[in-house]
Amino acid sequence: MEKRTPNSVIKAEGLVKRYGDRVALNGVSCSVREGEIFGLLGPNGAGKTTLISILATLLPPDEGQVLICGYDLRREADRIRPLIGFVPQELALYPTLSAWDNLAFFGRIYGLRGTALKERIAAVLDLVGLRDRAGDAVRTFSGGMKRRLNIAAGLIHRPRLLLLDEPTVGVDPQSRNFIFEHIERLRSEGMTILYTTHYMEEAERLCGRVAIMDEGRILALDTPRGLIGLLGGGVIHMEVAAEHVEDLLPAVRALPHVQAASSRDRRLRIETRAACPALLELIELCNARDIPILSLEVLEPNLESVFLHLTGKRLRD
Amino acid sequence: MLNQILAFTWKDLKVFFKDPGAVALIFLQPFMFIVVMSYALGGLFERGKDPIPILVVNQDEGTRATAIIRQLDEMEAFRVETAWEGHPLTRERAEKLIIEGKRSLALVFPPDFSEVLEQLPGAAPRRTRVLAIVDPATSSQFVEPVLGTLQGLIERSTYTAMMPRGLDYLFTQLVPQIPLEQREAFKARAQEAMSGGLLGGEEPVITLERTAPPGMRVEKLPNAFQQNVPGYTIYGVFWIVSLLTASVLQEKREGTFRRLLAAPLSRAVMLAGKLLPYYLINLIQIAIMLGASRWLFGLSLGRSPFALVTVSLAVAAAATGLGVLVAALVRTEAQAGGLTVLLLLTMSALGGCFVPRFIMPDWLRTLGLLTPHAWALDAYQDLLVRGYGLREVWPKVGALTAFAAAFFGLGVWRFRFD
Repeated sequence: MEKRTPNSVIKAEGLVKRYGDRVALNGVSCSVREGEIFGLLGPNGAGKTTLISILATLLPPDEGQVLICGYDLRREADRIRPLIGFVPQELALYPTLSAWDNLAFFGRIYGLRGTALKERIAAVLDLVGLRDRAGDAVRTFSGGMKRRLNIAAGLIHRPRLLLLDEPTVGVDPQSRNFIFEHIERLRSEGMTILYTTHYMEEAERLCGRVAIMDEGRILALDTPRGLIGLLGGGVIHMEVAAEHVEDLLPAVRALPHVQAASSRDRRLRIETRAACPALLELIELCNARDIPILSLEVLEPNLESVFLHLTGKRLRD
Repeated sequence: MLNQILAFTWKDLKVFFKDPGAVALIFLQPFMFIVVMSYALGGLFERGKDPIPILVVNQDEGTRATAIIRQLDEMEAFRVETAWEGHPLTRERAEKLIIEGKRSLALVFPPDFSEVLEQLPGAAPRRTRVLAIVDPATSSQFVEPVLGTLQGLIERSTYTAMMPRGLDYLFTQLVPQIPLEQREAFKARAQEAMSGGLLGGEEPVITLERTAPPGMRVEKLPNAFQQNVPGYTIYGVFWIVSLLTASVLQEKREGTFRRLLAAPLSRAVMLAGKLLPYYLINLIQIAIMLGASRWLFGLSLGRSPFALVTVSLAVAAAATGLGVLVAALVRTEAQAGGLTVLLLLTMSALGGCFVPRFIMPDWLRTLGLLTPHAWALDAYQDLLVRGYGLREVWPKVGALTAFAAAFFGLGVWRFRFD
């Protein structure tokens, strides 16, 4: 079954999905390589869950084509399903059953039986650190423990591709770190993971490549370092009185640590080679010309500011 | 595929038995109905057990009221109380006991009761009244049998008291010369003949004997439990609709359906896996209800265990099918709660689970046939009460299977997993 696998575990071309008049995905194309963690970063409503639902065979796309492990999603969904582990955003578990019973149920659905099933349940419980709570009802678990079990249920059948839809929503920092460690361990074992999140720190820490999504489109796709590199040394937003903008802009562009500058109304947007020296140069320039600075904002070079740079809005808007 | 269905079944049975509320709803609720309603109504249906207490105030200066009171007391269904806490009852005391809610019914025989019965014919007739003092809140089901019995006793007493005097009066008016011995002999024969032997002495020419229509093999007369067990069992069986709907909504809400849709199993397997445990729960429920009723209350299970199993399989199929339909139609818990209660109570009532259908107007009885409850109840009563076998209940099993197929077909058509 897996001999058709090319280098790309996922290959999506021109995906479009509409809900009535609303376009949830608008021509999305991407490919995910074997063994990498691929991040989908974007705010709520960006289209991440729609994309992951299509990849999990839950939704048919209106247009476009998807190959997963070489199988066509429209025609060969039955061959794709055993190869993927889907961890939905919801805690898709049975709260009154124990952790063991939950995993046993999902394991049986994937055809595991007898000793093989027991060994696999024990292994995934070990992986997510819940072996000692195996017999306890899930409703007695903390939020973080439920999230870990949610991931374990997606791993029970050793999938080749793990689809994680916002797996850390509502989790405390300690549990989040624990989940990160599990995901990194899975990567080291060679599992391919597609990871959606709206937390830029998660994408930066975990993902080999990140696609930044907004309003149903992929705006940029690269390694986190490559994306951050779009901002150079960081971005400075500076506000001055409107009458000074015209005069100030050429002078700002001429500063040694400034890469580029543009203006909009009273606001100057300055892309720097290095944020700190550029900031000093700007302050000196304004002092020398006796121009009062009304506001000043330094955007550190990270994915959050890349998103702001690309869309003009914040990830958590 | 079968293994996946069984995985669903095992999982849902575990979920069900870990939920005490659900277990109580399915097993205890109909059982409590049977026990409470049977004991509450038992006094109306059964002889000897918990006779209905009747307060009697006897103001009669003669002996006729005493005779009626004795006859009333001798009946197993009634217990006559002519004294309260060691003191003879007065009308005021009886009224107070009713007001205090200690008793519901009192009879007051007037002082001239015997005198009126023994009055001479020919003179201007005198009349009197026996008072029945009844708590207005008392159910007519309780009051009417008592008053009907009393009416019968008074008529009999009136007849035995006034008939000889009436005949004497006729003899005196028509043939005054007839010898006394012949007159008495004629009166005795006339009285016996006119009463059909009911007055005592000879074997009555007309006796009352309870029996059943041809073909029914009634091994014992139905008591309140026999009457109530089938109705409330069916009422309880259909509550599976509520559990099944709640379980489907929970799977949708928690996202487990979404997770399972990404797994290698078909939607048909998912639906079959979702139904089978509830079908099994229904069968367990019916077995417990009938088994416990037999063990605790001596319920007769009829003469055909195979027919009983066949009917139960069909009833459970109709109930589970209705569950699929309701689960397919509702979107929220509030909708599910409202629709389930509305449907189940209406169908149970129309189907005769609470009130026998024979007392309903014709149009309502016909409407009742649109519910699986009516067919199920009739089938169970055929087996448990009328002593029928499989041959007689086949049409009802067919109707129930048709209901199950229709509910299931519509439900599957409308069902959405997300």
